[in-house]
Amino acid sequence: MTPGGARDELEVDALRTDRYLEALLAAHDRRAADTPSDGALDPAVRTAATQLTRQLVRVHPSFRFEDRLGGRLAELARTMRLAPAAGGGVVPVVFPYRGPRPGPVVQLRAPDGELDPRDLRPYLIGGALTSAALSLAGAAWVAWRRARPVRISPMARAVRAAREVRLVQRLS
Amino acid sequence: MRRPVLGMGGGAEARRATVSPLDRDRPLVEAARREPARFDALYRRYLAQVYSYAFYELRDHHDAEDVTERTFLAALANLDRFEERARPEDGADASTFRVWLFRIARNAVANHRRDRRRHPVAPLEAAAGIPAAVDVEGDASRGDEAAAAWRAVDRLPADRRRAVVLRFVEEMSTTEIAAVLGRSEGAVRVLLHRALRSVGRDLRGDRA
Repeated sequence: MTPGGARDELEVDALRTDRYLEALLAAHDRRAADTPSDGALDPAVRTAATQLTRQLVRVHPSFRFEDRLGGRLAELARTMRLAPAAGGGVVPVVFPYRGPRPGPVVQLRAPDGELDPRDLRPYLIGGALTSAALSLAGAAWVAWRRARPVRISPMARAVRAAREVRLVQRLS
Repeated sequence: MRRPVLGMGGGAEARRATVSPLDRDRPLVEAARREPARFDALYRRYLAQVYSYAFYELRDHHDAEDVTERTFLAALANLDRFEERARPEDGADASTFRVWLFRIARNAVANHRRDRRRHPVAPLEAAAGIPAAVDVEGDASRGDEAAAAWRAVDRLPADRRRAVVLRFVEEMSTTEIAAVLGRSEGAVRVLLHRALRSVGRDLRGDRA
């Protein structure tokens, strides 16, 4: 037999095996008692297919592992939801400043009663996905620090008052 | 769920008619893309399959867990890169989510083996340990049969063994196995045929 002929024969046998497996596995899925028959099929192939269908079973991991990995995936999913805001360094997250202002008198107001631009402080939370949580914590800390009433010494209060008086004089 | 393979004759039209669209996970994938937490449904659906594949490849529960974990974390993190290829004629990379997932798993297994070669920690368990682990009924003769079957499978070259596991354990079609292994369907059919022939001869020899 020529090499080409042998190859063709192998491919035909392989195709026959493939069809037999399809029928066998389908019967196994249906839990059918009858198994398909193909007289031309190599008996060794039939033996192996029957045995492997019965013996090679699917293995399930422990439920403990399943839950643990499920938890890790949920954690990753949460991080991914935060990522559009935190990642890429292009989307600013705005923390409105609502705390009391230090210093006694002067407030700069925008014309037409618009919101004071200083009241909106953009914080860029950028960087790697893994550092998103740290960045959020850092931003929250900065916002808290800014909002917190500051106790200043009499000397510092005097310096600040003098600076604000100068600022008012310059603007008027 | 069984999946049909290509019909044997009748040209392109007949083939189109006999190939089922490989897109049954589309709703779940789209949901997970919109809301990553919904990936959980895909995870529950394929956990046992990926774990089994890893376990039959590595023959160690801890290693299989490690590979399974890497596979699903990588799949979720890269879900946006997954491209559904509904039909095999779309190209050599024709893929469903499951095929894509198993390709990740295959790479994870390969990486794991490479790491183990660099940093060996313990010898692989004996192949005969596998049937004992999965023989839930504890029947002795059935256990013997399972052990003999696994020994025969274990003696196969790696590519044939992999094809056998994907066919019999994961119940993948020839089309899907070809996509996972990066081989043609014809090559996969020949791999399986040769694998079964040698396993069958081995089993008959065992029995004799």
